Amino acid sequence: MAAGVAAWLPFARAAAIGWMPVASAPMPLAPREKRRTQDGFIIINVSGTKFQTWRSTLERYPDTLLGSTEKDFFFNEEINEYFFDRDPDIFRHILNFYRTGKLHYPRHECISAYDEELSFFGIIPEIIGDCCYEEYKDRRRENAERIQDDADDENNKEGVMPDMTLRQSMWRAFENPHTSTLALVFYYVTGFFIAVSVIANVVETVPCRASPGMIKDLPCGERYALAFFCLDTACVMIFTVEYLLRLIAAPSRYRFVRSVMSIIDVVAIMPYYIGLVMTDNEDVSGAFVTLRVFRVFRIFKFSRHSQGLRILGYTLKSCASELGFLLFSLTMAIIIFATVMFYAEKGSTASKFTSIPAAFWYTIVTMTTLGYGDMVPKTIVGKIVGSVCSLSGVLVIALPVPVIVSNFSRIYHQNQRADKRRAQKASKEAGQAFLSKTNLSFEKEHHHLLHCLEKTTNHEFVDEETYEKNCMEVSSVNPPGSRCSSISSQHGLTSTCCSRRNKKTFRLPNSNMSGSHAGSLQELSTIQIRERPLISNSRSSLNAKMEDTVQRNSEHPYVTSAIISIRTPPVTSREGNNTSDSPDYSQRNIVKVSAL
Amino acid sequence: MKGKNRKQNLSDAREVDGSYDQLTDSTEDDFELSTVCYRPEGLDKLQEQTKFTKKELQVLYRGFKNECPSGVVNEETFKLIYSQFFPQGDSSTYAHFLFEAFDTDKNGSISFEDFVMGLSIILRGTINDRLNWAFNLYDLNKDGCITKEEMMAIMKSIYDMMGKCTSPCMQDDTHREHVESFFQKMDRNSDGVVTIEEFIESCQKDENIMRSMQLFDNVI
Repeated sequence: MAAGVAAWLPFARAAAIGWMPVASAPMPLAPREKRRTQDGFIIINVSGTKFQTWRSTLERYPDTLLGSTEKDFFFNEEINEYFFDRDPDIFRHILNFYRTGKLHYPRHECISAYDEELSFFGIIPEIIGDCCYEEYKDRRRENAERIQDDADDENNKEGVMPDMTLRQSMWRAFENPHTSTLALVFYYVTGFFIAVSVIANVVETVPCRASPGMIKDLPCGERYALAFFCLDTACVMIFTVEYLLRLIAAPSRYRFVRSVMSIIDVVAIMPYYIGLVMTDNEDVSGAFVTLRVFRVFRIFKFSRHSQGLRILGYTLKSCASELGFLLFSLTMAIIIFATVMFYAEKGSTASKFTSIPAAFWYTIVTMTTLGYGDMVPKTIVGKIVGSVCSLSGVLVIALPVPVIVSNFSRIYHQNQRADKRRAQKASKEAGQAFLSKTNLSFEKEHHHLLHCLEKTTNHEFVDEETYEKNCMEVSSVNPPGSRCSSISSQHGLTSTCCSRRNKKTFRLPNSNMSGSHAGSLQELSTIQIRERPLISNSRSSLNAKMEDTVQRNSEHPYVTSAIISIRTPPVTSREGNNTSDSPDYSQRNIVKVSAL
Repeated sequence: MKGKNRKQNLSDAREVDGSYDQLTDSTEDDFELSTVCYRPEGLDKLQEQTKFTKKELQVLYRGFKNECPSGVVNEETFKLIYSQFFPQGDSSTYAHFLFEAFDTDKNGSISFEDFVMGLSIILRGTINDRLNWAFNLYDLNKDGCITKEEMMAIMKSIYDMMGKCTSPCMQDDTHREHVESFFQKMDRNSDGVVTIEEFIESCQKDENIMRSMQLFDNVI
């Protein structure tokens, strides 16, 4: 529950006066609370800067350094203050977290310094408010990448790690050409041959001087057919060897075969082999010529050598919908203008606009402001339409392009952000659970309130599973005794109903919870069973994952746990005096409320 | 908090201009600047009117102001706050009745004075005061008597707070039976309504109710 709402608990308890006269059963006893000490100031001296706040403000989050007794280690008797030798600027944000319940990340601060302070004061970063969370995660990621790059550089400088198999070192050589000289050589050689192959493809179509005895010019490819064939063979040999080596070295062959680069490789070398296999048949020579076109795909092999090309490809892929829209709107415009043009020019003699599809070419050339001039309207109406077409072409093409360009960056970042957010959701849940820790007396009073409601209506709160079980049974009412024993056998694990709300933020309205929250209730119950109470002393446990805290022993009376609060009898030891009521109450409380 | 008797301090109230500049798409007055800041009367005055000590009033006000910086609670916020305590059920109807009961001057919002007055009666008043306040809560149209329909509404709202997952399963007419038994107990002359005298008399005779009224003694 948000820290502020805890202040309204007395009001909620007072509002229970409306239940009293209608209740048929007697109310449970109020939790015996020790006389509340006057809420006093606490002065925190952080490297000379004094911060002052109420004690109760700090006690809102009992599982942090400042909210627990750990701060006693920093109490200095000479100055009668709590002294911390840390950064006061960052501490300001940490203290604001106690005050407002929201942790913010200051953009100008260094991310690692901030992280250090958070871990020192026992606050897990997942509770950073939504306003600052993305920025925080971005900076964290960049920092991690920087550290990773540094580590990689270190690794690379060391040279080959002794334990790598030949296969692994080959794969590493292929992926990072800078790891060894051999890899670098291989990288340049393949690059060279790609270039040679592409240039050969281009040059063989250029007309060479005719050899003596021939009349017309031949393309060089036919003149020096043998030379080009040898060159082609050599290149394909190299490419085939490269592909096979990559295939052998790949850690996951299946994934490698499916990757884009390997498909490009295959497409680049296939035409040659198909050409070898096929005979010089008239029927298939047309297809054979088409196949040679695919040789130009070798140029895409350069994308292994160029990071920028890869990024471009990725951004085009992610912007596909915008491009599709542009294409669609252009198509619409083309069809419209071509139709109008065709009918406008129908009357004129010797019109080149023989059909609407023939007019497409004119429309495209005009709209993109190319204007070849091979098709020109002759009628006045045609000319008017033609001018409208070229004007609108400017607009239709020029307007979406900046939108697409800006969409590139927006979609690119958005995609990344959406994926990040999905991945971060799990850790955010853990963060919300951390926020839900409240102090014990508040829990007790809240449970007493709910208990009063149960008594008023003569019904009890149960969790979803028990409710469904009860509904399905023929005999309507479970004897309360058996239920008690089964639940108390769970080591008195209880859940705080309000903690379920804590998983969501304060702003969520509490509409009827029956249907939609069934799932979250279920998962909550499983999480509860897995987790155990966190002990206030174990600061490091906060930084570890929540699951790690399962191993903590539950002997410590402090029950500052995330979702579970244990109502063990040591509750009595926490208070000085103990009447016979409270263990009974807490026992009863374990039974009843644990049904939640 | 200087004891000035300002009912409505409109120092921060600026009307939302609606000046939306089409060309530059600027919405400078778009966000709500019309924050009506309400300040309660002085601490001393409140101390006279209620039975709380100065320190208690301070603590109450700090909590109040934290959640409602504008100084008043409207019904939506009220329902929201109250629903935080009852996650399993729907407490909005009961919160609505509470709101009506707290809002003594019927201006649609609860100021700190209303809030503290109500709390003072419930937490620091005599048993009779408390019973009076409870009667006022039940009497929805404030005509001096509780009819069966009013009681049905109240009872339903209380049962709504339990939610669906209860044991034993909640039937549709559970609250009806409860109302019947309530009327049987309270309505002495069986005229179908419960007047304030009948109510107080019946409550004073019921030990459970008297004992539960004492629960409120040490809430704060």
